[in-house]
Amino acid sequence: MSFFVRGIGAVTPLAANVEQTWAELLAGAEATRQAFANGFGGRIYHCARVPQKFTAGVARESRLRRSGTISLLGVTAGLAALENAGISRDQARGGAIVFAISCGGVEYTRRFYHEVVTEGANNASPLLFPETVYNAPASHLASLLKIDNRDYTLVGDSSVGISAVHFATQLLATDPELEFCIVVGVEETDWVLADAFATWRMVTNQSSFEIFGSMRGTILAETAAALVLGRSGRIQVARVSGGIPFFRQRDASSALRDVVTQLRRDKPPAAILCSANGTFADRAEEIVFRETFGSVSVYGHKPAIGDSLGASGVLNIVLATLTLEQQILPPTLHSGGRLESVTREKTKIDGTEVLVTSVGFNHQANAALLAINS
Amino acid sequence: MQRVLITGFGIVSPLGRDGAENLKSLWNGSDCISPVNVFDVSKSRCRTAGQVQNTWLAKPKTRRQRRLDRSSLMMIQAVREMMRTSSQIKPETLVVATSSGAMSKGEQFYRSLVTGKNRAGAARQVANYLPQKPVLDVQEEFNWRVPAHIISNACASGTNAVGHAFHLVRAECHDVVLCGGYDPLSEMVFTGFDSLQAATSEKIRPFDRDRSGLVLGEGAAVLLLESERSAVARHVTVFGEIVGYGVSTDNYHPTQPHPSGIGPRLAMQRALADAGLDAGQIDYVNAHGTATIFNDATEGIAISELMPGAAVSSTKSMMGHALGGAGAIEAVFSLLAIMHQLIPPNINFRQPEPGWKFRVVGNKAEPAKIRRVISNSFGFGGLNASLILQAA
Repeated sequence: MSFFVRGIGAVTPLAANVEQTWAELLAGAEATRQAFANGFGGRIYHCARVPQKFTAGVARESRLRRSGTISLLGVTAGLAALENAGISRDQARGGAIVFAISCGGVEYTRRFYHEVVTEGANNASPLLFPETVYNAPASHLASLLKIDNRDYTLVGDSSVGISAVHFATQLLATDPELEFCIVVGVEETDWVLADAFATWRMVTNQSSFEIFGSMRGTILAETAAALVLGRSGRIQVARVSGGIPFFRQRDASSALRDVVTQLRRDKPPAAILCSANGTFADRAEEIVFRETFGSVSVYGHKPAIGDSLGASGVLNIVLATLTLEQQILPPTLHSGGRLESVTREKTKIDGTEVLVTSVGFNHQANAALLAINS
Repeated sequence: MQRVLITGFGIVSPLGRDGAENLKSLWNGSDCISPVNVFDVSKSRCRTAGQVQNTWLAKPKTRRQRRLDRSSLMMIQAVREMMRTSSQIKPETLVVATSSGAMSKGEQFYRSLVTGKNRAGAARQVANYLPQKPVLDVQEEFNWRVPAHIISNACASGTNAVGHAFHLVRAECHDVVLCGGYDPLSEMVFTGFDSLQAATSEKIRPFDRDRSGLVLGEGAAVLLLESERSAVARHVTVFGEIVGYGVSTDNYHPTQPHPSGIGPRLAMQRALADAGLDAGQIDYVNAHGTATIFNDATEGIAISELMPGAAVSSTKSMMGHALGGAGAIEAVFSLLAIMHQLIPPNINFRQPEPGWKFRVVGNKAEPAKIRRVISNSFGFGGLNASLILQAA
């Protein structure tokens, strides 16, 4: 059974849509970083936010008038992917929805719990609580599209985006009548999230970060990316793993090796879109790429956009479809010297397959292989 | 297409630490709701919940185990029991549900930020807070390294996890899938339901004319679903089977169900169609039955229209609502009902809502010939899921 990417969409700190995001990445642009304004203890972290004007279109929907950033981002990307697939809103009812989320509505969660902690449980706002639920963004998209059937939200670490694509292939495989599945990866960010990850030295307090280099931590970003997965199309999801867990950081490379071995075909892919983010994930990917794929070009989007956690896996698959269609990779910004095959400038590729990898914070490795019909 | 057999199960809930204790409580109609003791509820209207006793959970022996959140310990306990009943098989994949994960660890982390003190355990709190962590802990405890999908579809999650696993085995994508769900009590979620005025300060009375709201609960439950091919080859005990799963999204309101009952009705209709059954072939409805005004009204309408005369109870009356874990816990209750031929009671029940055309099995468990059970779960976002279990 074959599954294909029928449409793609994204809203990122770089641009309001996937085409412009891709153009910015090819041009070597880096998303504007800003310091969080609402921290404790004088600890400063930076993030890359999506300008509000990028989601203004969906913010006018009555269903979304009280929604948090994560819902606005997710709905924006989901609708964009649907349009890109040539599916009208009226035609969307026959589809399913799968959202991939790592930390969820942290802004509303923080506001709600802050009221509980500082003012007491009896003063907590009932308006905030419904939007703290992980599946709130998915239910908003389902409502706008009048999808009355399958609507799932998966949670996990930053590998959950690829897991969601795997889950979507399961839905299509187990239900022959299901026409397509909209897969959305989405994340918002907050100082609390950055501080939490910083306790594990996963987030830096600098305004930029290096990958395959010093491993001083990442910078979080808001993003939503979406794809429509169906039974026909030009870009095939040739293989996708459900992921393999690891229990210690030092075992991450072993887990990733097992995943890519499962997906490997006769010839190496033309390119790899990696998840390197300035943490232990870089080391795991570096080891596996060097020993398994040698000189295959590697691109990492995170130094340009930031680490969008649950959204990053779907974004990487979206970027992989563009890589295959245009046979080009953007330059990887701020790449250190530990992996020679990283693209340091725009790089032409010549091939029909691209590998997407993800090593999550907590703790799962995953990968997908995309192929273009020649 | 394969038959999907249940060849193992495990449960820990306010009703007991394992299947045997839960069964005993179901027969007895035990009221396992008690004053909340894991966080301060003095400013909440509702001050009770169904709680898993810490002494029921396996005592952590290693340094790693001592660091685990209660949610991980509950999941490990449930899986350990499942392993005892299923001949120690390693699943090919996991499908697990939660709605809030180990939220209490996130709460501790945030409190330490606000108060500006006691940051010593911050890293551990963060590591254990993430919703996938209990599933990772289970894999480490049992030395598994298999793919895991973690569904967070609010209160429908548990039924979604079991239902998705059922479809994977039936379609021959996998032979052996562990599925289930968990949710521990947490202050934020407890306060959330209180703020929505969905929680009651009184007894939880599902389907009662004078119902006033839900009480939260907690727990974990897992089922091992196995293809008939695999179960026959392994010569294992079969406890029951799953024959149908249906979902719907009623797209009405973020927290309230469509008053027509169309969402629950569609989920049940789809589960029946998936199983190739008529509504009349269902012997017992294990209802979502949260005891909120709106949920029970819509579920009541849907059951009345679809299954008039059906025997119905909500086991939440005994243990409260375990949210993302509820669907898996109630799937195990439904299995126990089939295995032991009982209808669990809907306790605290006094008077039915006029106009409903089903029979609430109130206050006392009933011995009955039970071949098929439909188990309902509905959640925020208008998500509805129904599962049909059958005697093997």
